Amino acid sequence: MTNAGHRLLWTIIALLLVAGGAAALAAGFGTLRGADPQAMLLSPGLLDRWRTAAPWSTLAAAVAGVLIALVGQRLLARELQRPAGSLRGTLSHPGRRPGRTRLAADVLADALVRDLTGNPGVRRARVVLTGDPPRPDVWIRVDLTADAPAAGVREHVRAAVRRFAATTDCQPAHLDVTARIEPGQP
Amino acid sequence: MRSVNRVASLLLAAALLVGGSLSAVQALLLALDQPTPLDTTGWFAALSSTRWREPTVRAAAGAAVLLGLAILIAQLRPWTPVRLRTDERDGWYLHRRCVERRLADAVSAVPGVRRARVRVRRRGGQWRPRVRATGDPAARAEIEYAVHQELHRLTAPRPGRIDVRLQPRRRPA
Repeated sequence: MTNAGHRLLWTIIALLLVAGGAAALAAGFGTLRGADPQAMLLSPGLLDRWRTAAPWSTLAAAVAGVLIALVGQRLLARELQRPAGSLRGTLSHPGRRPGRTRLAADVLADALVRDLTGNPGVRRARVVLTGDPPRPDVWIRVDLTADAPAAGVREHVRAAVRRFAATTDCQPAHLDVTARIEPGQP
Repeated sequence: MRSVNRVASLLLAAALLVGGSLSAVQALLLALDQPTPLDTTGWFAALSSTRWREPTVRAAAGAAVLLGLAILIAQLRPWTPVRLRTDERDGWYLHRRCVERRLADAVSAVPGVRRARVRVRRRGGQWRPRVRATGDPAARAEIEYAVHQELHRLTAPRPGRIDVRLQPRRRPA
């Protein structure tokens, strides 16, 4: 799951906690309309209704439990899933008629990755192409070795992007390069 | 915060999975009049005999509000960006942690300086390295030089003021 996804999830949970806690506080102080602060948390009326509705009430609880467990399983699967290493992006081009042509950008991205890793200072590279084919957005991440000369690698990346633009006739509309450098030798 | 979120989500997912499965099994066995793995009579008795106005309920509700507010503030305040932009023109960014680690290594290589920690923040267009280390306060100039050199090696922009705080090393008693 992405950082934005986590942030959204925990913002929703925080809002639920605040709303639930505030409602319980209001019920406890008698300021919540329709709630009696003298009433029990599980009122006898509620328990009676639960018993009257049995076995459907317990079956509904079982279904709710299964749904909660499924949500947990999906969330766990998303958390444990490795970031999509094969993500290469999709190029999308609007046609003359309504609709768009979508093209997986694997081949182009692989070519640029090979060019980038041709420099000994680049240990790994990852390229994602998105957008419109003549002017795609190019997202690059390069992992540099500890002894890589950053200026040289930077020039190498710039040259590789220029070569990519010339051979594919795709001038990047937006270029974003993130470099991660290994720690130096102790 | 990103790592905290990830771990918290993992724990939440595990709790939902285990809790949901247990309550489903429990409810199903109750519906079939079979013995259940959890004895919930105590919980029912407690919830049936506790009033909304009791201090325990108020304390739990107050704790939930405070926890919710703390999480909300932590999620909504601006986070430190993962990357540091080096140049406006060619879209080149450096991973912040890598830069901080490299700078800490460079500072630790200064003679007489140990346990260096470096944080880099961006104010306006300038990088503001903050160095915390143990060592001789006289090494400040050398530390600043080492930071400048390492940033130059990383093709980073020239930093603004470098904040160096050196803790003198404690002498053994």
